[in-house]
Amino acid sequence: MYKFWTVLKAEYSQVVKKKSFIVGIILTPVFLIGVTIIPTLLATKSISSPERYALIDADGRGLGESFSEALKRYKLDDDTTQATYKLTSLYEVDANDTKRLDSLRLVLDSALLLKQMKYYVIFYPNVENNDSALMVSKSLNFKTSARFDRRLSDILAAIRLDRSDINLPVDSVLAMTRRIEMIQESPGGKSRDFMTVYFGAFIFIMIVFVSVISFGQVLMRSVIEEKNSRIMEVLVSSVSPFQLMMGKVIGLGMANLTQIGIWVVIGIGLFSFRGAVEIPSQVAGVVFNPIIVVYFVVFLIIAYLMYTSMFAFIGSICNSDKESQNFLFPIIMSLMMPIFLLMYIVQEPDSTVSVVLSLIPIFTPTMMIARLSVIGPDTFSLADPIIMEATIGVFLSALFALFMIWITGRIFRIGILMYGKRPTLPEIIKWVRYK
Amino acid sequence: MNGYLQLQGITKQFGDTLAVDNLDLSVPQGCIYGMIGPNGAGKTTTIRMIMNILVPDSGKVIFNDKATDADFKNIVGYLPEERGLYKKMTLREVILYLGQLKEVPGKEIEKRIEPWLERMNLGEYKNQKVEALSKGMQQKLQFITTLIHDPEIIILDELFSGLDPINIELIKNVILDLKKQGRTILFSTHVMEQAEKLCDYICMINRGKKVLDGSLKEVKDNYGKNSIHLEIDGDGAFLNSLPGVDQVTNFTNYFELALSDVSRSNEILRAIAEKVTVNRFERISPSLYNIFIQVAGADAVNPPEKGAADV
Repeated sequence: MYKFWTVLKAEYSQVVKKKSFIVGIILTPVFLIGVTIIPTLLATKSISSPERYALIDADGRGLGESFSEALKRYKLDDDTTQATYKLTSLYEVDANDTKRLDSLRLVLDSALLLKQMKYYVIFYPNVENNDSALMVSKSLNFKTSARFDRRLSDILAAIRLDRSDINLPVDSVLAMTRRIEMIQESPGGKSRDFMTVYFGAFIFIMIVFVSVISFGQVLMRSVIEEKNSRIMEVLVSSVSPFQLMMGKVIGLGMANLTQIGIWVVIGIGLFSFRGAVEIPSQVAGVVFNPIIVVYFVVFLIIAYLMYTSMFAFIGSICNSDKESQNFLFPIIMSLMMPIFLLMYIVQEPDSTVSVVLSLIPIFTPTMMIARLSVIGPDTFSLADPIIMEATIGVFLSALFALFMIWITGRIFRIGILMYGKRPTLPEIIKWVRYK
Repeated sequence: MNGYLQLQGITKQFGDTLAVDNLDLSVPQGCIYGMIGPNGAGKTTTIRMIMNILVPDSGKVIFNDKATDADFKNIVGYLPEERGLYKKMTLREVILYLGQLKEVPGKEIEKRIEPWLERMNLGEYKNQKVEALSKGMQQKLQFITTLIHDPEIIILDELFSGLDPINIELIKNVILDLKKQGRTILFSTHVMEQAEKLCDYICMINRGKKVLDGSLKEVKDNYGKNSIHLEIDGDGAFLNSLPGVDQVTNFTNYFELALSDVSRSNEILRAIAEKVTVNRFERISPSLYNIFIQVAGADAVNPPEKGAADV
């Protein structure tokens, strides 16, 4: 045990003393906050100058005029994120004059490219019957497109209403058909929205991802370096390869926990310093749910052991960082998978696909935490399917992690002394069987 | 034979190559034991099996009448053929870490660090990083790390490779001191002249097999004084054609002549003196190199290394 502790202490202090450790402590949260907050900020950025657009009205019933009027009127009082629109020019064109239409479009296309305007819109004849309206733009702005759709729909509704037998003012009909957006709540009555749940889960996955990748690579590099500098032979003449490997894995794990611990302390510090940061209750509901936090810590540890032993495996069979890159790809992909699938999991946390994927050991730590944060269980009860599945997930992935450690231990003791040629798969299998 | 360290029928095969073939070895306590043989003879593989870094396919390693175990790791000092240290650590940190891995308390090691660094002329570098040292200095540092835990038995693979003559002298003195303290030293080398000057016992290995072993005196006595140590001024090319000379080995600054009939040595001396100035002409036992050639065949070895005789 003394030797194990010596290795552990050496690995721990080597990492913690490095500048990159301090940089990691600062940069990782900056990065995480960056990827979660910046998109929201950009989406809700206030827009000061109006966006310019042009209209081609080939319908010939003054639709263009009413459209631009309606768009001018449309403005919510307190919403600064709402764009305003300015009509640059309105062209009334004969629908049969395709030549003029085409040349106009060419002119407007180049205006778009020169950023003289953001959109142009074309109304073809008989729009109310054949939906033949077109919006042209370089961007895919779904908010603007929805707004334009609404204005045009209202105008067309008025035209249709005119032709019908219904004898009512247009405004009251529009008021009657007003659409609403439902507030979303989880069972138990907690309100939340898609973005908070998505980013809550995203933060959990990213912490696992960043911890595993960064510390896994540190571990792998240290093994490769010890192989290259040939100090490995001195080490294994003093400690058993397994002691060495576990000393490294746990030593770096401690460094990792230290880093996360520092984040938590800073986070609590900021949180309790009132006014410094305001955490919306929905975010707090996802992130500070004690059940989720406990599962998260457990899954983080399991993921750490599982993946770092894979990195130790790779380090022990490779001779250079370059060689190891090929093997990193599958590991990084299996860690990225949950991020790609997160959109789906947030929408379908209970589907068979989600359940099955989250019970595959290499995905369990990340997928299960994503499902947990979407479903957000309030009480710990094994009768609750998600708690049951998460608990099964803990056991399966822990077993798999132990298996990885075992198999890596078998490979490690041979691989660390093999210089030169990288072993082939049959050779690796043979190593596992060596006595 | 009842040695302190014993190898019994050790065999190791890598693929189709039999690296070590049924090797028996017996190293007595308190001696300097040289394992010699050309490159690729199986010396390093044998040492790795002693260190339990490689597991023999068959055979046993016995230390102090027991199979080697985890405790053995703490009382052995091992210098592998391929040297290496942590480049980014300071000398003090490296010595401390590697010493603690031998289960010696850090405080105890701290006490030993400075005297050792002083002895190896590295005192001023104590808190510098290993990468700041020259290669020769790193070798000495590695030698310190091998001995810092005061091992009972010291195993040195290709001990002198990469060292200059001054440092070789320094390390030789340390080894002789260790022997005085009753430590057992086993080292391997492919430069046989070194072994000849240092060892009490030798074992010659070729192609994984032992070809000869015993105390240096025994081995030499078996071959009698049938050789001549010759130092001359001028070209020695003609020596091969002298009658009564079986074989000429050209070391860097002297020749060794194997004679077919020792009684004709005066005649040979006269013949040489006619052509060149003789500085030294001495009847000796054959060198280990020549003994090796006699037992293993001339094709078993590469010619002696340049500069080897400077040792």
